[in-house]
Amino acid sequence: MLNNKNTPVASSEATPVASAEVPTAPTWAAPPTLEAPTWAAPPTLVQELALDARHLVKSFDDLRALKGVSFDVRVGEVFGLLGPNGAGKSTLVKMVYGHVQPNSGDLYILGMNVRSSSREIRGRLGVVPQDEGLDVELTVLENLMVFASFFEVSEGVARARAYDLLKMMRLDEYTHEPVANLSSGYRRRLAIARAMVNHPEILILDEPTVGLDSQVRLWIWDFLKKVKDQAKTIILTTHYMEEAELLCDRIAIVDKGQALAVGSPQDLISVHLGPQMAEFEVAGTEMSYYLNRIRERRFKFFTVGSHIYVPFQAESDANELLTIVNSRRIAIRRTTLSDVFLHLAGHDLREEPT
Amino acid sequence: MILHWSQIYRVWRRNFIIFKRTWLLSLFWIVLEPLFLLAAIGFGLGAYVKTVGGLAYVDFYFPGLLCTTSMMISFFEGAYGNFSKLNSSRSVGGGAAMGIYSVILISPVTVPELTLGELFWAASKGMLSSIGLLVVGLFFGLGHTPRILVVIPVLFANAWIFSCVGMVVTSYVRNYDQMIFPTSGLIVPMSLFCGTFFPVNELNSILKSVIYVLPLTHSVEIVRKLFVSGFSVDLLINAFVLVVIGILVTRFALRRLAYRLQP
Ligand SMILES: Nc1ncnc2c1ncn2[C@@H]1O[C@H](COP(=O)(O)OP(=O)(O)OP(=O)(O)O)[C@@H](O)[C@H]1O
Ligand SMILES: [Mg+2]
Repeated sequence: MLNNKNTPVASSEATPVASAEVPTAPTWAAPPTLEAPTWAAPPTLVQELALDARHLVKSFDDLRALKGVSFDVRVGEVFGLLGPNGAGKSTLVKMVYGHVQPNSGDLYILGMNVRSSSREIRGRLGVVPQDEGLDVELTVLENLMVFASFFEVSEGVARARAYDLLKMMRLDEYTHEPVANLSSGYRRRLAIARAMVNHPEILILDEPTVGLDSQVRLWIWDFLKKVKDQAKTIILTTHYMEEAELLCDRIAIVDKGQALAVGSPQDLISVHLGPQMAEFEVAGTEMSYYLNRIRERRFKFFTVGSHIYVPFQAESDANELLTIVNSRRIAIRRTTLSDVFLHLAGHDLREEPT
Repeated sequence: MILHWSQIYRVWRRNFIIFKRTWLLSLFWIVLEPLFLLAAIGFGLGAYVKTVGGLAYVDFYFPGLLCTTSMMISFFEGAYGNFSKLNSSRSVGGGAAMGIYSVILISPVTVPELTLGELFWAASKGMLSSIGLLVVGLFFGLGHTPRILVVIPVLFANAWIFSCVGMVVTSYVRNYDQMIFPTSGLIVPMSLFCGTFFPVNELNSILKSVIYVLPLTHSVEIVRKLFVSGFSVDLLINAFVLVVIGILVTRFALRRLAYRLQP
């Protein structure tokens, strides 16, 4: 189903209209048929959405895990859900593959409603769950073969793909080993291989590099960049700022069940803060003195605990700040996504939520 | 929701791949226990019993043993075997390891397909075990009748019912220890009183009406009649009861798994 603004969408199954960046064509251009005609849409107007989430709400008993989350993911982009432990990242991706049902709100994947087309949706996804979920009773190869069978991939095709994937993931020497014998890095790679055995249109990775040593992490990042080059859509969750910045075209910053901001890493930094950041720590008694001085100079700022953060634009601002604060205590650096998170959430990405 | 039968088969096949590796050894140990019972009770103790309803004791006992075996194996597979598949556990690394059912549900397999595939597997294992015993029985001169071919589907139906019971049990219990309640409270008494060791007629009328609600009674009666007297109309009544119970427990198992796997 193509989504474009100039054609009325009649079916309740259809994806809600795409983002507002699409220019609106005159409504008289739309033919009176209720079907969206593909010929009427110039390619530039076509904006297919891999995922469209609207006001998703989920409660577990008393706990409100998602409090109305909205965002969309375009076909071919790498999208990151960045947030600390318990933010609701896994809950969100589980909704995509039907393991959690939303209490309210809508979720469309590739134009299909998760409430009514879960089987079809899952057939077009590849999922690496947070705890991998490998089949410990099977060997490495059997894990791929059995999973491929659930996707109705024929035995011959599955075998060819499995051997290709094992080679690509450098797992070939473990082909007939029981999964239980693999180290954590190999297990993660097998989980990724398994997610690709059905040639998915969307690859979902829930914390793909947590608990791995830096070598394996770099290898996986490299691998995901190659997948990205094949114009596959990737949705990943992470609480590593570097991971989000390195891999993702766009990011949703998630905290306590809410999407605080959505955009490209660069946009998030430039819209919410600025290219540069001055950070310094002051004693409690000095806080109001410094804040007043920063206010006098009309700088924007925010504080977290005893730290004061002052985003700024120009070099001259840095010099001005240095005159306010003792230069030994001030750090001047490039603004990062962590700063954006800190600014929006009021606490560190690495902290447990309070 | 539409069921894809091929998906049910693939869920079954996953279990079969695992079982296949050790099937001969597994089957040997599974059949050994009823074989001991057959020797000790059927032939041993049975030698002191003149006849039961005109039958040699071992001929009376063997149908009960067949059905009990198919019940036990499929119940235990359904209850104990499925528990770790349904529940997530602590993994070696300390994180949660998701149960294999949740893993399978990442794929296009649906919850009813998964459930039916698993029930089918536990029932297959129960039926296969009782067929093993059936074959061994042939060597002891038991069950020499072509109606043995009709006995097999009855054993399967019996196994199916108890794989559902096992699945329902595993969907309620919080740990393996709690499974002792349904095992000791339901399964073991059934194996003793449902016309397996002695005729149901020996019981008073209240107990008898309880016994006739239980599926094992009907399976045993069908198999015994098939072995001894051939086809008759009352077989249909027994079969009807089995089918009704089968439908009820299947629906119950499907409902429980849907509840457990779709939060
Ligand atoms: N099945 C469940 N039952 C009850 N509470 C749940 C369930 N799943 C998640 N939660 C709660 O919902 C909140 C969000 O959990 P979620 O797993 O989505 O977080 P997350 O962002 O993935 O965090 P993490 O980095 O720890 O994986 C947490 O407080 C969690 O305890
Ligand atoms: Mg998570």
